[in-house]
Amino acid sequence: MSASPTPTGAYDLAFARWVYANVDGGDRMALCMQCGTCSGSCPIGAQMDHGPRKLFMMIRAGLKDQVLASDTIWNCVSCYNCVVRCPRKVPVTYILHDLATVALREGNAAAKASDNARFGSAFWWSAAKYGRTDERLVTAKYYWSFGLGGFIKRGMANQKIAMGMVKTKRMHIGMPHKVKGTGELAKILAKAAEIEARNHG
Amino acid sequence: MTERKTGVYLCSGCGIGASVDMSKLETIAKTEFKLEPKSHACLCNDDGVGLIKGDIDGGVNQVVVAACSSRVMVDRFAFEPVMTLRADLREKTTWSHPAGDEDTQMLAEDYLRMALASAPKVKAPEPWVDGDYSQRIMVLGGGVTGLTAAAQAAALGHEVLLVERSDRLGGRALEASKRLPHTPPYAQPQDNDIESLLAAVKASPHVSVKMNAVVTRTAGMPGKFAVTFADESIEHVGAIIIATGWRPYDATKLGHLGYGASPKVVTNVQMEGMLKTGSVSAKAVAFIQCAGSRDPDHLPYCSSVCCATSLKQALELIEKDPGTSCYVIYEEMRTPGVAEELYRTAQKAGVIFIKGKVKGVGADLTVTVADELVGQEVPLKGLDLVVLATGMVPNSTNPDAEASDKGPEQLIGDVDPEAPIKVAGYAGEAPADYTKRAQCTPEGGPLLNLQYRQGPHLPVLHDGFADSHYICFPYETRRTGIYTAGPVRRPMDWSEAAEDAQGAVLKAVQAVRSASAGAALHPRVGDLGYPKINLNQCTKCRRCTVECPFGAIDEDEKEYPQVNPTRCRRCGTCMGACPVRTISFDNYSVEFLTSQIKTVKIPDEFSGKPRLLLIACENDAIPALDQAAIKRHTWSAHVRVLPVRCLGSVSLLCISDALSVGYDGVMLMGCKPGDDYQCHFVKGSAMAAERLSKVGETLKSMMLEPERVVQVEASIADSDRLPTVIDDFVAQITKIGFNPFKGF
Repeated sequence: MSASPTPTGAYDLAFARWVYANVDGGDRMALCMQCGTCSGSCPIGAQMDHGPRKLFMMIRAGLKDQVLASDTIWNCVSCYNCVVRCPRKVPVTYILHDLATVALREGNAAAKASDNARFGSAFWWSAAKYGRTDERLVTAKYYWSFGLGGFIKRGMANQKIAMGMVKTKRMHIGMPHKVKGTGELAKILAKAAEIEARNHG
Repeated sequence: MTERKTGVYLCSGCGIGASVDMSKLETIAKTEFKLEPKSHACLCNDDGVGLIKGDIDGGVNQVVVAACSSRVMVDRFAFEPVMTLRADLREKTTWSHPAGDEDTQMLAEDYLRMALASAPKVKAPEPWVDGDYSQRIMVLGGGVTGLTAAAQAAALGHEVLLVERSDRLGGRALEASKRLPHTPPYAQPQDNDIESLLAAVKASPHVSVKMNAVVTRTAGMPGKFAVTFADESIEHVGAIIIATGWRPYDATKLGHLGYGASPKVVTNVQMEGMLKTGSVSAKAVAFIQCAGSRDPDHLPYCSSVCCATSLKQALELIEKDPGTSCYVIYEEMRTPGVAEELYRTAQKAGVIFIKGKVKGVGADLTVTVADELVGQEVPLKGLDLVVLATGMVPNSTNPDAEASDKGPEQLIGDVDPEAPIKVAGYAGEAPADYTKRAQCTPEGGPLLNLQYRQGPHLPVLHDGFADSHYICFPYETRRTGIYTAGPVRRPMDWSEAAEDAQGAVLKAVQAVRSASAGAALHPRVGDLGYPKINLNQCTKCRRCTVECPFGAIDEDEKEYPQVNPTRCRRCGTCMGACPVRTISFDNYSVEFLTSQIKTVKIPDEFSGKPRLLLIACENDAIPALDQAAIKRHTWSAHVRVLPVRCLGSVSLLCISDALSVGYDGVMLMGCKPGDDYQCHFVKGSAMAAERLSKVGETLKSMMLEPERVVQVEASIADSDRLPTVIDDFVAQITKIGFNPFKGF
């Protein structure tokens, strides 16, 4: 996928048009009429820098950096209230998630630093590698993303919970659980990547 | 006239007989009015109607039906030319008051008395028919509206005179590139098809066209208009449709949006021409919406089509060159009706919409917008063209003619546009004094130069559009037989204007046909009565000529009032205005009303039963009361309802008569007056309010409390509210005490 263009001024449409063409659901985003039903419906709107309504307008206004740095795209909990309610049938949730992917891929610093991005990549690492999420390894990988100091600090703080989980057999010690045929899984994922590249390349 | 023979018919159906004592009603007709009533268990069935018809064949020439409300079974009890009067024993009596009650019985008796007492005061009207009437319809203006009107009127078999001030037909459509979508799926700009409309009009044998024509004088009345032109030719027509359209708002007043500073700042009208000739070469275009619209310093209203027009123009640009960047800067996108589809198309096509106010347009075409959605002030740079979406100014005046010396005062058509209309004595909380809001009237002289006593202009609404009520009676101006259609009436687009033209044509056809039959137009359609003035008693006070909402009464050379019957809408405002009650209709008069007021039996003060008179407008108040009764709401049985054509027809004499015979209070119930009036005769309820404002002093001089006379507003939807309004008034009057004139 080509990298998104950076607008040269206010309301430079370059980025907006790229979003319309390349982001999942972006073609319908062009139809947003700024009614604000999405932002009004959002259960965690208070935990976002901008509501989806404003984020879409910022895309049109050419505020690419602010859009990709906003936590709106990371804090969406996929409740789909906005998608169900949008009078113009804009798939808000898809757009937000795909914008998050774009932000990471383009190396946006704020995006990379976000908690959800760290946890998401740890989660995906485990799922892609073993076909399962291993609580212990996902947690460890997530903590490790903060560096050694962060790893130790977080690990110590959650030690008690970890011990409790082990005791009640909610977390195991030993070899990670795997699906049968991780090689097949790798092929599936490779095929998916190929399809994506074909559709959005 | 042959001897009056009145047949009285009492109906005991629909629960009337079970609620009131019919034999007592019969006795009243016999003893008090010396009439022989006939009772029937269901008067509206074939047997009952047959009974009445048999009597009419036997010589009865006036019928009084005491049954349901005058608003129902109208067709069953129509025996034209024999006149029918109705006494309401159902809705306003038994359905709204307890059965078998002493007060309900008295109420029924009084309603019967009112009908019987008024019967001798009226007769079946003889229509005013005088010589030749023209069935020809004049259409002023040869644009989309005028052309459609001409084609439609011709299709209905009427001769049409199409008058155009320029040297070619087609109007502004000739300058237009494409038109707004008007056929499904309403998503794309559509081709300009004015040529087919022009061809249809030119092909019609019934349409004669007068080019380069300016009206200098219009005299007469519906069916008998004589229109003089600048070339001194005179044409006789029966009705006039004004389709003069609009002019763009003067963009030179929009310097703050950069107009005039750069040739790259154009209006949407100029843009339309540029698109038509294909002379646009811009790659980045900003459309500034509401340029001089919805702005107290410019046009205070929304022209409703500028948003859709900008969408259309942006789409035309993008169609020509998909790389064009179009920005629409708006405060609110207003896409009425199906224009929403065009909005969607424009969004899909990538038009960028920016909500906010334009702070300024620089000489280098940098548009600074206070962006409301992003929450910051942004400069839009690199534009090649800025289009100002200016609004429509109605051509309700002739911009080429000199403004008359009386100007806006005449244009509004009010007695005194500056004087606040004081609305006194409202029940409950009194509203603030009503003052006229700032007028926005287009410059120019009169369109038709009407030879009317009330002035040469066509009266306009507050924004300068020539109509008398957008919702309730579109097309109708306050000059009967003269109708407006298209953007002179309210802002609208091409297809709406074409639809409008058809509506106005139907009105005009109705006008010419009714005029020749001597029949009234809306809202008293078909009424054959007309005001007759006894000039022997006239004091030349001119109140009738001034107050007529439709300018129907002129003054002759001796300054006596002169009625133009086909201009009259039969509201009776002249009758209510006349201080010497010398104006009356065959089927309506001050005596007709006062005879009903006086015939009611007023119990003495020891009975503990007050009597209140409710003078109610037939258009909204009476139907609302009927509706209240149908819902079985109840109100005080001490109230007697007197229906009137319009509160404007209520003479102060009716009120003073009521108080002098011992009524304890009088309530006038009518439509809303003021700028956003709902009065079916435009000014009737305002006139009543104005007259009533003068009654307070009179009451004080009679040592009566001014609170005894009130005016309340009622709309058709007020059925749930009105019973409480009435009961509150009864309670208020009971607190004040009985009228001391009782028993004199």
